[in-house]
Amino acid sequence: MSSREPFDEPDGPDESGVPGELSGPGGLDALEAELLALGDDLDVPAPPPADVAAAVRARLAAAPPAPAPHAPEPHAPVRRRARWKARWKVVAAVVIAVVAITAATPQGRAAVVRVLRFAGVEFQIGDTPPPPVRTTAPIPGEHPADTAPFPVRTPKALGPPERTTVADHGRVVSMFWPGGVRLDQFDGTLDPVFFKKLGPPWPDYVKVAGRTAWWIPGAHPLGYLTREDGTELPLRQAGPTLVWQQGTTGYRLEGLKTSDEAVRVAESLE
Amino acid sequence: MDDDEAVERSLAGDLSAYEALVARYSALAHRTAAMLGAGDEAEDVVQEAFVKAYRHLASFRRDAPFRPWLLRIVANETHNLTRSRGRRSELALRLGATAPVAAPDDPEGAALATDRRSRLLDAVRRLPERERQAVVCRYFLQLSEAETAQVLDWPVGTVKSRTHRGLARLREEVGNEFA
Repeated sequence: MSSREPFDEPDGPDESGVPGELSGPGGLDALEAELLALGDDLDVPAPPPADVAAAVRARLAAAPPAPAPHAPEPHAPVRRRARWKARWKVVAAVVIAVVAITAATPQGRAAVVRVLRFAGVEFQIGDTPPPPVRTTAPIPGEHPADTAPFPVRTPKALGPPERTTVADHGRVVSMFWPGGVRLDQFDGTLDPVFFKKLGPPWPDYVKVAGRTAWWIPGAHPLGYLTREDGTELPLRQAGPTLVWQQGTTGYRLEGLKTSDEAVRVAESLE
Repeated sequence: MDDDEAVERSLAGDLSAYEALVARYSALAHRTAAMLGAGDEAEDVVQEAFVKAYRHLASFRRDAPFRPWLLRIVANETHNLTRSRGRRSELALRLGATAPVAAPDDPEGAALATDRRSRLLDAVRRLPERERQAVVCRYFLQLSEAETAQVLDWPVGTVKSRTHRGLARLREEVGNEFA
């Protein structure tokens, strides 16, 4: 048995090892080799690379300035002026970002006339239909999961979901059923998690088990608000959706054709 | 598409090319962030680092390798995070479920080896922060001395001496027990 012990170094640790130099397999002392092997054994959970790439791309696409050549700012002689200039730069950046977004499509000129925050969802309601989102991105860090990070409920009317995912460090749990039906559950009491850009028709006021709910009958742009600074990540063009809150949890149920059907499913949560 | 071509196309505003770079280095970036102390915030750190890397891509020297340049940004973001949390960065890592392959038909030896590995990992965790960073970069991330110097923004000589001191400390703690 002892002859097979991996750490059975006859001479003990090599005192003469060249400090910190990895000089190839022959030049490693026992401890260095052990550390390399230990490193290989360490589990580092990471989301699928394609998801990370999509999330990064979504963030870059949401704030379009391309990699700017690093032109150093000339030092302003007067401090006050420099500050003023800096403020101007912020304003200019915001203007550029807004122009870049609205110039992207001709319908992009829809003005947001009202913002409604409810159950962890921000409704950005404009007077004309918003341009559709043509890309699809997952919620940051979305991955399949067997266990949920907070108590979740399942709508009895739909039966067990086909699959369940957890995203953004447990901030959102999503369940999926065939036919594009999807239920997202999230903390609906803190900052908004999702945003929806809506034009007419405005959302319909409905009730789920006596509580306020909103039904968005048509397809609409759906996005995600990052936890850190509320950066808007466009996700996809979402189908008809019911949004409501129960306790501290916000729910959005997407993909059912009519509000009656959606309410019936929502009321079957258990 | 190699790194250089991907960088060139990204600089021209081709987000698909940059997406390919992100996908290529995503796993290594997560590993680096987690091992340098980002813990369960590694995902946020990595996304932020990739966004920043894109914005600073014009300052990347094209004749230099992309990998250590990117990992330096990851290390910086990790550093900012641990500093903002106001405490020492933790090496929060788990040993994989895989048993050491040294002794498949020798449960006792395997148990000893597993025990040894977890004690070695504990000893690495307890190293002074800078020595730990050096050891992590050199052995867990398998970076060269030059890459480690770039990623941690230290002179190469400092990488050598801190790695050396770290190894000496590890030897004191666990080195002689199986001799």
